[in-house]
Amino acid sequence: MISVENLHKNFGSQVALDSVSFTVPKGEIFGFVGPNGAGKTTTIRILATLSQADTGEATVAGIPVGADPAGVRNVIGYMPDFFGVYDRLTSIEYLEFYAACHGVPRRRRAAVAGELLELVDLGDRREAQVDTLSRGMKQRLGLARALVHDPAVLLLDEPASGLDPRARVEMKELIRELRRMGKTILISSHILPELEELCTWVGFIDGGRMAAAGPMAEIRDGVLGGRRLRIELAEMSEGELARAEEVLQSHPGVVAVSRFPDHIEVAVGEQVVDDDLLALLVERRLRVRSFALIPGDLSEVFMRLTRDVRS
Amino acid sequence: MSIWTRVAAGLDNPIVVKEAVSRMRSWRAPVVATVYLSLIGLIGFAFLNLGTAANSYSAGRPVAAVVGAQAFAAMAFFQLVLVCLFSPALAAGAISGERERQTLDVLLVSRVSAFGIVWGKLIASIGYVLLLILTALPLFSVVFLFGGIDFQQFLLSQVITIATALSLASIALFCSALFQRSLPATVASYAASFLLTIGTAVISFLVGASQAVNRVPTSKLQAVQAAQPVVAEWFFNPFYALVTVLQPSPAGRLTARGFSQLLFFGQPESGVVAVGGPQLDPWLITVLFEALLAIAALVGAVLLVRGRRAMRPRRTSEAAAEVSE
Repeated sequence: MISVENLHKNFGSQVALDSVSFTVPKGEIFGFVGPNGAGKTTTIRILATLSQADTGEATVAGIPVGADPAGVRNVIGYMPDFFGVYDRLTSIEYLEFYAACHGVPRRRRAAVAGELLELVDLGDRREAQVDTLSRGMKQRLGLARALVHDPAVLLLDEPASGLDPRARVEMKELIRELRRMGKTILISSHILPELEELCTWVGFIDGGRMAAAGPMAEIRDGVLGGRRLRIELAEMSEGELARAEEVLQSHPGVVAVSRFPDHIEVAVGEQVVDDDLLALLVERRLRVRSFALIPGDLSEVFMRLTRDVRS
Repeated sequence: MSIWTRVAAGLDNPIVVKEAVSRMRSWRAPVVATVYLSLIGLIGFAFLNLGTAANSYSAGRPVAAVVGAQAFAAMAFFQLVLVCLFSPALAAGAISGERERQTLDVLLVSRVSAFGIVWGKLIASIGYVLLLILTALPLFSVVFLFGGIDFQQFLLSQVITIATALSLASIALFCSALFQRSLPATVASYAASFLLTIGTAVISFLVGASQAVNRVPTSKLQAVQAAQPVVAEWFFNPFYALVTVLQPSPAGRLTARGFSQLLFFGQPESGVVAVGGPQLDPWLITVLFEALLAIAALVGAVLLVRGRRAMRPRRTSEAAAEVSE
């Protein structure tokens, strides 16, 4: 749905983007990860037709960004990292205005605006002046604004920046709902735990260069060397833990076993089926209380990848 | 798309509606209108009273007509002054304000064209000025009852005022697109407004004075020129245009000949003050100049706004060569 190939962009002597390439398949949530100044916003602005790459190609829904920017504008919804609202307009008028700007027929504008306000849970604030809304509400309204023309692709630049925890959770739920509606979503952020929960695909950028991009699990496993499991036994005595460690290490797919006072962590290779490992423990009469996959730490992946890029 | 569909699409500009709603909801809109009407009303009232008291100025005309003409002229001049003050203020923050509010990018990602944005902002700004001019018409009509001013003079005075508002608002829009912030845009707009009004008057006065000092008539032509001490710069001054229109001479009258001059640059009418170049009525030259100024400013503003969007890419090989250098 989104394809970026070898994008280069210089601002004077400063290299903003250096051979940036990635793809985002239809219906996926792509987390665009990088520190401030890495090139995330520059890339998104190029995709949003607000900036022009020096070289390289980018397409959105098969439409080349450089050759047909007007066509691209029809299929994208863009939410910048910072955006303002107009004074003395109500929420419904605000959305109707942007619906008009996106060419939504006059007779449908009110209905579209009303539906979107309900979607972002601002239905009860439709007559509230937009400049009186809280930051979180404005962000949700901004997301609704990006949806007025029902775009297939959403470009969200730091959508959760400056939000309190509750507003972040609401924003995350909203983005998940949009994915269920079939939207392809590109989100830039440097708040990694949030992206980890939300994204299915991920791209890491640092200093204008892509460190890695692809499906989240693939990248994480590739960098961290497989999955990690957390196992808790019903009886956490030294003897039981030692026996469990011995059993786990006997499995050919287990890479490493670490013992902790209250649990065991096991690093396993790609070929290991978790159920087989659990069956092995049960077979050896070890009473397992908990057996779970440890979510990969995206921060660690990011640190390792960017360290490689910088070195 | 037919031309009428295009015209309808141009008028159905969401920015105009949004700006109008937003502006009319602010406390400033009714306050400015009240102050505007009060000042013009006061000026008219003062001149009617003063003129009635000094009835020796009639010079063969009915006193009411003289008083009416004086009051109308004072109100028209004052209205022009107010329009020169309001128009830059209303338009100078139109585009830079979008930038400052961080709403411009969102607008540029929509289907509204750069022309649509500039056009919408112009109509929204000028619309409020037109509203002010419209609300002042009843005040003018009261003075109109005294006589001394005919309908053409009234009409032309309003045409000059509207043309001046349009040109100053267009220049302010250009400044608004040129500068990142509203403050420098406003300063530049007022500088341009100053140059167009007081600047042209000062230059004209200085050039006229210099010519008068140096001119020693040695021929019939130079004698004619000496009798017409109006220099070209005056024609770009809207206040001078208003003077010529409000004079009881036929110089400023709207005639079929005047329009033909506009179209074909014909021969000068008697009483038209210009030496060399196209022979047009002074008001017509002013309005024409202001219209050209407005068009140039608007084209510039559209190009500047369009420049903020991505344009067609350069050829890959050219750009790659630049990067490798």
